[in-house]
Amino acid sequence: MAEITGIYTASHTPVMLNFPDNIPAALKDEIFAAYKAMGDDFMAGKPDALIVLSNDHLHNFFLDNFPAYCIGCAESYESPIEHWLHAKRRTIAGDQAFGSYLLQNALEAEFDPSFSMEMVLDHGSLTPLELAGVDPDLPIVPVLINCVQPPMPTMRRSYNLGKFLGQAIADYDGVERVAILATGGISHDIATPRMGMVNEVFDETFLSHMESGDVDATIRYATDFVHTAGNGCEEIRMWMAAMGAANGAAFERTYYKAVNDWYTGIGIGRFRVS
Amino acid sequence: MANWQEMMPSTRAYLMDKVLYELHHKPDHLEAYTTDADAYLARFGLPDDLATAIRSNDVAGMYLTGVNPYLLRAHCIGVKIPEAESLAALRRLLDHEDYNDG
Repeated sequence: MAEITGIYTASHTPVMLNFPDNIPAALKDEIFAAYKAMGDDFMAGKPDALIVLSNDHLHNFFLDNFPAYCIGCAESYESPIEHWLHAKRRTIAGDQAFGSYLLQNALEAEFDPSFSMEMVLDHGSLTPLELAGVDPDLPIVPVLINCVQPPMPTMRRSYNLGKFLGQAIADYDGVERVAILATGGISHDIATPRMGMVNEVFDETFLSHMESGDVDATIRYATDFVHTAGNGCEEIRMWMAAMGAANGAAFERTYYKAVNDWYTGIGIGRFRVS
Repeated sequence: MANWQEMMPSTRAYLMDKVLYELHHKPDHLEAYTTDADAYLARFGLPDDLATAIRSNDVAGMYLTGVNPYLLRAHCIGVKIPEAESLAALRRLLDHEDYNDG
């Protein structure tokens, strides 16, 4: 039986690595410190494995065959895949047995994820791990959700997948301590006329819903208003999954700022699971 | 405005997606494109307006084809279109009456 030591939510954007100096140095330092604090917090829980809920940005997957959900079952993951990302190439350890367990149990539970035994992770996984200072030897299981190409799985389905993951992790005997990092969102537009116009009203309302603990209201708001907050905001499906895995634990934001010059509402939070 | 131009990609958008995807993921494709853009684009049998939009770094024109915005974004960075130029081209398409702040 594994213990979930922490569930965290955090935005990601390649701009953090490619154009970090688009914002004042003091703000950049403040944001980077918030990511580092998140990393310190979840490493303090001494996890043996990390589930990374993230999304592929059309690098591993293309429109010839695009999975709604994909569970990584590799021994290791190279990253980044983007030739243009300002990040050092690195190898992140994978927990193949854990990924395989989650995959098989998901199918038993009537979810139908695809699986991958060879993925090169993109900035969506790498950026928060790098900024949080996570040890690359901490084995991960990537669980990727399609948030980048409609049609996409619903917010509720993503919540339910997270609920399944939380229970399956708790039932797993292969490791003792597991952390979850859900990464993406909040408001941002990628390559649209709204790019750089963060919808702070959406973000504040969304975070307030998360903090209220009202799951149905949060899912409803995410579903009904995501269209006002940018295509990048579709990544809050990972926050839905984290909320499902948290199984009612209280959520608190640890950082939020609308950063128009990074094109993103930068939000970080955690669920009080321990 | 909505988050997406097409809730299911048209064939035109798919063709754009395919070029921008292969250009930045297949070995030697970026080099082939930068060496001879016309010859590279001819491989895909694109309609002329799509090929022209790509070859001329017409960010707004590419956007309006319905191309996946993540592929467009990666392409802009990957072929080094100046950031301010990309942003300005897209912003010129913004109809403020369409901007929905929730």
